[in-house]
Amino acid sequence: MSFLTATGIDKSYVQIKALQAFNLEVNEGEIFALVGPDGAGKTTLLRILCRLIRADRGKAYIAGLDIDRDFESIKSLLGYMPQLFSLYPDLSVEENLKFYAGIYGLTGAAFEKKRDYLYTFSNLGPFADRRAQALSGGMKQKLALSCALMHDPRLLVLDEPTTGVDPLSRHQFWEILKQLKDEGVTILVSTPYMDEVARADHAAFVLNGRKLSEGTPKELAAGFKGQIYFLDCKPSRSLVENLNKFEGLTAQRFGAGLHLYLNENDNLDDYTAYLSQLGINVDTLKPTAPGLEDRFIQLTEYGL
Amino acid sequence: MWRAYLGLIRKEFIQVFRDRNMLRMIFAMPVVQLILFGYVVNIDVKNIAVDVYNYDRGQYSREFIDAFKAGGYFVLRDAVTDRMDNPLWTLDDRFKKRESEMALIIPEDFSDRLTQYERVTVGLIADGTDANSARIGSGYAFQIVQKFSQKKTGFTLPVQVRSKILYNPEAQSVYYMIPGIVATILTMLTVMLTSMAIVREREKGTLEQLLVTPMNSITLILGKISTFAILGIIEMIFTLVLGVLWFGIPFAGSPLLLFALSFLYLLTTLGMGMFFSNISSTQQQAMFFAWFFFVFAMLTSGFFTPISNMPVWMQYVTLINPMRYFMDIVRGIMMKGSGFTDLLDNIYALVIFGLTIFSFSFLRFKKRIV
Repeated sequence: MSFLTATGIDKSYVQIKALQAFNLEVNEGEIFALVGPDGAGKTTLLRILCRLIRADRGKAYIAGLDIDRDFESIKSLLGYMPQLFSLYPDLSVEENLKFYAGIYGLTGAAFEKKRDYLYTFSNLGPFADRRAQALSGGMKQKLALSCALMHDPRLLVLDEPTTGVDPLSRHQFWEILKQLKDEGVTILVSTPYMDEVARADHAAFVLNGRKLSEGTPKELAAGFKGQIYFLDCKPSRSLVENLNKFEGLTAQRFGAGLHLYLNENDNLDDYTAYLSQLGINVDTLKPTAPGLEDRFIQLTEYGL
Repeated sequence: MWRAYLGLIRKEFIQVFRDRNMLRMIFAMPVVQLILFGYVVNIDVKNIAVDVYNYDRGQYSREFIDAFKAGGYFVLRDAVTDRMDNPLWTLDDRFKKRESEMALIIPEDFSDRLTQYERVTVGLIADGTDANSARIGSGYAFQIVQKFSQKKTGFTLPVQVRSKILYNPEAQSVYYMIPGIVATILTMLTVMLTSMAIVREREKGTLEQLLVTPMNSITLILGKISTFAILGIIEMIFTLVLGVLWFGIPFAGSPLLLFALSFLYLLTTLGMGMFFSNISSTQQQAMFFAWFFFVFAMLTSGFFTPISNMPVWMQYVTLINPMRYFMDIVRGIMMKGSGFTDLLDNIYALVIFGLTIFSFSFLRFKKRIV
């Protein structure tokens, strides 16, 4: 059952079309990831859903409520965490929590109970008296998440919560999201990291204000058209450029090596000569299953 | 909603008291201003340099000069009696070089005429460059002349000018300046803090997460301005206490009335602050607007220059300055002990300004935040 539905969302700024006829459907109790480069329109979409800006056209419903008409009721269901740290740097961890608790009318024992619960999974308890400005990036994000969770929202909207956070903290943050999902919270999250998309239930690739593709992470990756070979080498710029020059071949740096993309019906043997000319032994190429990143690159760079 | 409101005020106070610079501004400002206006900007006139051109050789002129020497208002450069060595026309030059600020000219027949109970005219020339000293200096001089003639002849006849300073017989500027400082500080603090309040949250991005909470814009604005109203009143009390204890200024009227009317005035300043916050997109812009307003308000409030000394068209301009009315109120209550009915005109003006500005800004603000 879908918890959040958005249809035909348009939003233009003076020069650019930030969103064009964007549709989105998020099921209850799932983690939905929006993935795309900076400027793709992810933040614009999330801010529209949180009514921080207005769409030019289109409708959106959260828990069956129209965001244009019933947003006051939606507020109690919605927890939002903006991309930039939005808490008070000169207040301590606990003071920030207390301030947000006050907004939701939680005081005294009710607040303490909630605070202790939030500390259990954020591990911020030992830092209760520390000013927010002195926290690490990961801890800041956990604090912002805690504030957004103060009122037990049913939908969490998180805008790039892990950008600029170290890998370990990113991992911990997703563990928390998993835990929240198990408690029944629906989560809509944007991210530039592919490895995070793999942990979502559904994801959509976003570019230039449009949704390019959508599905489970597996479905998304499986949408890759063609064959992939992994080459374990030092991927120099000139090598990648030379490979891309040859008709039918495309190459992309990938971790410690590179991915070589071939069309569906091509035969690797046809390229042996050219590859060996570049000093590549065809026998060292390993066929590889497509990953999310391969599919994303194919979509964004080659429009396939 | 009530809890959210109190929580917001609590948060604002924590932030203010944690911000060292803000604290310095709040508590150092009155002290510095009091010292500056109390000691440095001393509009009392003392030690005026006077050249005495005494063409009379009699006993009375010497006593007359002695009368000027007493009191410490004048420093006399006397014995300028030789017409040829010190012709009067060098005075112009001496004024220009600031060697002298005033000249007293005693005619040849001064003693003779006084002995015969006849009228005599003494000349008094003052350097008008410093209008304040000239005016006040002449005032002192007239008083001295009057007393002298009274003493010598039993009549005040020889000089017919009367000069009297009401409420502040010693022309103590501190008594006059401190109520003015109270008014300016309250204005400056509340207008500036309010103008930066919401812009700051927007600029720092803290508004973003807040706007998705059930905290509505009315609570947000009211929580902020309540904080600044409280801070403003604390600041005012602090300034008053300093003024009374340190400078020993009198407080003639009712403190309660002063506080009640200060709250009335806050409607205007908080309204102006909200207006500036509304039309600015950065703290810097807001600060600039607030500062511009403050300078205009201060200069046309009669803080330094009495409004009656301004050109007529400027006197009309001062009517649109809300601080002018509050200045009258503070000075009235503190110096003259004015009561509610004495101040009615000013109170009407503040009610009109307050309600108009506050409601206009409040409604505009509400719209913009959502």
